[in-house]
Amino acid sequence: MEAMAEAALWFWLPTVLVPFGIWISLSSKDTMGRAFGRCLAFLGLAGLLLSPWTVPSSPSSEAGHLLGFIVGPSALLLVGLYLIAFSGNVPVGRLPKSDRRLGVAATMIGFVWFASMHWWNLTPTLNGEVNRYWLVFLPTFLLLLTCLCSGAALCLRVIGLQRSTEAKVLWFLSGFVFLMLVLAMTIDGHSVDSASFRYHLWLAGSDLLGTAIGLSISILVFGLVIYWHERGLPEPQSVNPPTGKELDFVANIVAANLGGGEDE
Amino acid sequence: MSDGKLGVTWRAMLVAFLLPLVSVWALDLTLGGSVGAGIDSLPRFGNAVLTSYTLGSFLLLGNLFFYADSRQRPLAPLVGMLAAASIGLLTTVVLLNQGDLLMEDNGSVRAQVLYNLVHMFVSAGAILLALGLALGSTFATITAQKARRTILEEEE
Repeated sequence: MEAMAEAALWFWLPTVLVPFGIWISLSSKDTMGRAFGRCLAFLGLAGLLLSPWTVPSSPSSEAGHLLGFIVGPSALLLVGLYLIAFSGNVPVGRLPKSDRRLGVAATMIGFVWFASMHWWNLTPTLNGEVNRYWLVFLPTFLLLLTCLCSGAALCLRVIGLQRSTEAKVLWFLSGFVFLMLVLAMTIDGHSVDSASFRYHLWLAGSDLLGTAIGLSISILVFGLVIYWHERGLPEPQSVNPPTGKELDFVANIVAANLGGGEDE
Repeated sequence: MSDGKLGVTWRAMLVAFLLPLVSVWALDLTLGGSVGAGIDSLPRFGNAVLTSYTLGSFLLLGNLFFYADSRQRPLAPLVGMLAAASIGLLTTVVLLNQGDLLMEDNGSVRAQVLYNLVHMFVSAGAILLALGLALGSTFATITAQKARRTILEEEE
């Protein structure tokens, strides 16, 4: 089979299946449709994870290779935060207190795992070279995380009422991630040196800025398309005012539903 | 909150968001190693704008189906959005054909387009994970505090 066709079958088809499956799952009204959508998304994800073995010749399969590396620590971090959040003071769906310890442990392991992927020999490498998408993922992730935590801290401080303790925790988190960035910029990692990391940090910044601008333009265009369509629609036809008989009918219904017992 | 105060709040939040970004770049410039990346950053920036615009437009085109459900399925907005997304795709191909303007380390226009797509998926993954962690951390810090009691003053 031609290399391009192989890539289309074993990488791009699973890639398309993931959002398509999620879309079916979210838009289906019956249980069968939702289950079918989930199955499609799962199959797509499995296909993506297997792409380094199914199409090793395609450069795109490096993304599947990276996904296999980051799915573990990412899941641990997200599940850990979920357990911490919902074992706290939430009015509904509160988890037992023991889940909090589990959540903290999961978050710590996830974080150490991620740190080991830069500082220790867990760096995603393919055929003896660092996966090029890892050099896209890590700087983008760290850069945005420190910015978001900083923004969220100020948001809590300014908009929230008596949220200074929470804001301090988020400032600390932002500072911690910032420290990780600075360390990666100044001290060589296991497979990525500091100069290379700094170079990719610039590219990550350009990426984030470009993505924000591109998405904003697409949302603006979407709004304009809807606005022009709605503006071109004819005025809705006005209906005749209600007749005396109709008004009497409505008055009877209202009268039957007004009032209440003495004890209410 | 008055309009003036709201404006100051938004500006302060934007500054807080951008502060780490600016600090990192200032530190990097002080270290003096990566100014050269600025030249490579331009094609990356251009590709990111075009790819995110095109993918975002196709995503919103899908969203229009839900809008059409409540409007007796009009075709005009669907065609309009399809045209907008196609313009993004066409612009990408045209600009990639203009020599080294947007080309990175890829041999052909097709390879660059596919690289842009995969690159955007990876970036989107990093963005979504960062968003999830920031939101999760905010929520976790809020729920970690002791429950507050709201005391309502009794009306006289």
